[in-house]
Amino acid sequence: MILKFIDIIILLFAPFLMMGLINKTKAFWAGRKGTSIFQPIYDFVKLLKKEFVVSETTSCVFKIAPIITFVTVIFASLFIPLASSSAFLNVPAGLIVFAYTLGLGKFLALISAMDTGSSFEGMGASREACFTSIVEPAFFMTIASIMALSGNYTFDSLKMIIQNAGNYGILIIIFAVAVLFLMILIEGSRVPVDDPNTHLELTMIHEVMILDNSASDLALFTYANAIKMLLISSLIAYIVIPAGLGFELGVLLYITVLLVISLLIGTVESAMARIRMSHVFEFIFIMSSLALIVLSLVVAKIFGDV
Amino acid sequence: MSNYFIGIIIFMASGFLARLILPKYKVQFLSMLCALASFFLMEPALEVLSSGKILSQTFNFNHIFGGVTFAIDSLSAFFILVITLMSLISIFYSKGYLAHYIEQNKCLNSHLVFLPMLVASMLLVVTCENALMFLVCWELMSLSSFFLVIFEGEKKEVLKAGIKYLVFMHISVLFIIISFALLALNSGSFEFGEFAKILHNNAHLANLVFIFAFIGFGTKAGFVPFHNWLPDAHPAAPSHVSAIMSGVMIKTGIYGILRVLALIATPTEFIGYLVLVVSVVSALYGVLYAIGQHDLKRLLAYHSIENIGIIGIGVGVGVLGLVWNNPLVATVGFAGGILHILNHSIFKELLFLSAGNVYIKTHTKNIEILGGLIKSMPASAILFLIASIAICGLPPFNGFVSEFLIYISMFKGLGEHNFFSLLTLLFSIASLALVGTMAILCFTKAFSIIFLGSPRSDETGQVKEDVENSMIIPMSALAFLTLLIGLFPRQAFEFVIKPTQVFVSCPQQAYLETTTILQTVSHYAFAFICAVVILVVLKLILTRGKVQIHNTWGCGYNRGNCRMQYSASSYANPFLAMLKPLFKKVLDVEKPRKLFPKKAHFNSHIDDIEEAYLINPLVKFDEWFLSKFESMQSGNIQSYIKYGMIFLVIILIGSLLVG
Repeated sequence: MILKFIDIIILLFAPFLMMGLINKTKAFWAGRKGTSIFQPIYDFVKLLKKEFVVSETTSCVFKIAPIITFVTVIFASLFIPLASSSAFLNVPAGLIVFAYTLGLGKFLALISAMDTGSSFEGMGASREACFTSIVEPAFFMTIASIMALSGNYTFDSLKMIIQNAGNYGILIIIFAVAVLFLMILIEGSRVPVDDPNTHLELTMIHEVMILDNSASDLALFTYANAIKMLLISSLIAYIVIPAGLGFELGVLLYITVLLVISLLIGTVESAMARIRMSHVFEFIFIMSSLALIVLSLVVAKIFGDV
Repeated sequence: MSNYFIGIIIFMASGFLARLILPKYKVQFLSMLCALASFFLMEPALEVLSSGKILSQTFNFNHIFGGVTFAIDSLSAFFILVITLMSLISIFYSKGYLAHYIEQNKCLNSHLVFLPMLVASMLLVVTCENALMFLVCWELMSLSSFFLVIFEGEKKEVLKAGIKYLVFMHISVLFIIISFALLALNSGSFEFGEFAKILHNNAHLANLVFIFAFIGFGTKAGFVPFHNWLPDAHPAAPSHVSAIMSGVMIKTGIYGILRVLALIATPTEFIGYLVLVVSVVSALYGVLYAIGQHDLKRLLAYHSIENIGIIGIGVGVGVLGLVWNNPLVATVGFAGGILHILNHSIFKELLFLSAGNVYIKTHTKNIEILGGLIKSMPASAILFLIASIAICGLPPFNGFVSEFLIYISMFKGLGEHNFFSLLTLLFSIASLALVGTMAILCFTKAFSIIFLGSPRSDETGQVKEDVENSMIIPMSALAFLTLLIGLFPRQAFEFVIKPTQVFVSCPQQAYLETTTILQTVSHYAFAFICAVVILVVLKLILTRGKVQIHNTWGCGYNRGNCRMQYSASSYANPFLAMLKPLFKKVLDVEKPRKLFPKKAHFNSHIDDIEEAYLINPLVKFDEWFLSKFESMQSGNIQSYIKYGMIFLVIILIGSLLVG
């Protein structure tokens, strides 16, 4: 019970804090003082109070899309174990529902961007749709490969990699975590795929899709995106943290993993420039290749272990 | 069973009876008769599905056919339900659609004869148990649908598409005849029951028969590489006919494949992999080409290929489950495939009918000049949106349920540690995910270019109102079904478990496991919808009067016009550019020249690579080869009599030698 309570707290605040921490890290590397790590929360609250400015071209799709996108992310989180290392809806094949629910959110976000009739937002939507279509299969391939190890499609297979794969376990974990980390960068639209701080509409991806959103719509989109990053990070945490640790240690490790991921994203953003738009595909295909490596490791484990 | 035949006879006769009625009331009269017929047809189908017994009746035909049995088992009953329900909705819709043609004094008599005839022949196909009679019904189906396709035969491209369709159907029936002939030769009978006996434990014959049957039925269903007629025939046909053809008729191809599998009963591993791999390729190929299309109905036709592929993935995994003796994989795989047949017919029909609404109001199928229609046609837009979300397989609509079942069966199949199966399944899972995301790309494109933004041409801007209610109501029924299956996945699974039992009997434990998961999904979907509704209402209340209307942000430039919006080709371009080698892009460009350019145009479309590099060379070769015999056609009556004589002599000598 207390664990579920912690989960809710984490779902409410951790996405903001991760964002704040990423910004803080970037400020540190740039030698600035930076904003407080609570700044995203202040922004969120402020946006909720603002007045709506809506384009005259838009229709009802534009009004309901932020809500649906937000609800899909919240509902998708029911399938992901957070600090308590057991999901609220712990059903087999839950990851499929998770991915498809996020897909619905993406669908609505894309058409709401197209609803404004702006060529910039069309550009963003087109790129986002295109990137997702490469990311998703790689994610499924990784998850399915790990589940093939145990031959079972429940969540526990993600935790039992070491037990199931023996010597290959460490390698599989490293590559699977790499796949998921790249997925955070791409889905969360961070550098080097997309730059959340850019001010040129032509080069933006996610940010340009929400150019015309204002007030609580904008707040919901930003929050939803942050939660999405939290969920994928939680998957990483679930894979990395071994089973059978006590309650306090588990939560502590979970928070550490989130911290490390945030610091890492901040460092990556400070160390790398964003990739030229025409080369982003090549970067995303790294993720597919890593997923293929996970697959081949699993196949090697099952059939090559003599 | 007699109710069934009464229904068929009413369907057959209704078109002829409609000739007697005034043009204005013809379609209304026809739909009433069809509703009556469906009522009769539903009764035996529901009886079979609830009780699980097999109804059958044998007729004594002449000595060629012998006794012909029509039987309804649970697989046939499922198809009867899908066919009658979906056709009925289309026929109801056609009243509004055809009204525009009646105003132009177009003669509808033949169209209204063939429309119910198509339905009746499909119904006969799914119940016939005699190979010869099956072929007769099959041919009746192909021919009546051909006449429906060439409804606007005065247009050259329609006629061309129709003839292409006819040719493909006859190539397909050739392969079906070969497979039936093989069986008939071996068993000495045309009865399906006898076929099953010789196919039992004869793996070699089963493989051979299945390959021919798969090519034949697969052409009807639209599996790659036999899909080529689909993207031409669907745009040519009127919308309610495309809806029936894509929603129901191509499923008779799937029925044929399923029936042959049921006859084989113990399929080989080869068959499983064949179906699975061809289906994965079809699904990817269909959605890939759909992304590049600007013609709305062509786009939808390519999506039919994709969805036939998804159905095939379910069936393929089901067959592999049978081979591995893993009833859970088999049951869930077949159930997913069969449920997707129903789901696809619902949302695809809805999409084609919405496309019909758009066509009636704007007189174009080219999505590049549409836009902003959600303001003038809100009902059609919402219905199209629901169907798009469903076809992408997203919760909480029905497409998700069947894709979810197929995923479950594939994930369960991963436990089978066999090198080839593991790799195939892992890549199939990734492909299904890829198909899903590509469908999202395609339908966000289609929906937003047609309905969102601002109108891209004057004609589109002049649309003032939505189509009449007589068209919206049947479509709403489809949308309701979409949501219903999405919200009650467990009941949907229980509904398709009966037809699944034709192939495999479901173990209790597997059944319980799947229904538990589906029950959770059902609660989840309900909670999801509630949450969305509550938040939307809350937002409406809280933001009342606090909204400022403004221009769309254009980087400070506020004189942008509708031509500057993102177009369908530009939306799809990053993705297509990435996969350039897979397409044949045809550009038709005339650049502006000189100081005062007079005219310029730019046009691009994507050619089917299979048509360009496989079908067209074949046709070219055929033309060349046949042109060698042109000299035989002298136009001289004496030489034709000579040919006849030569032919008779050859027959005589041949029969002497053989006999």
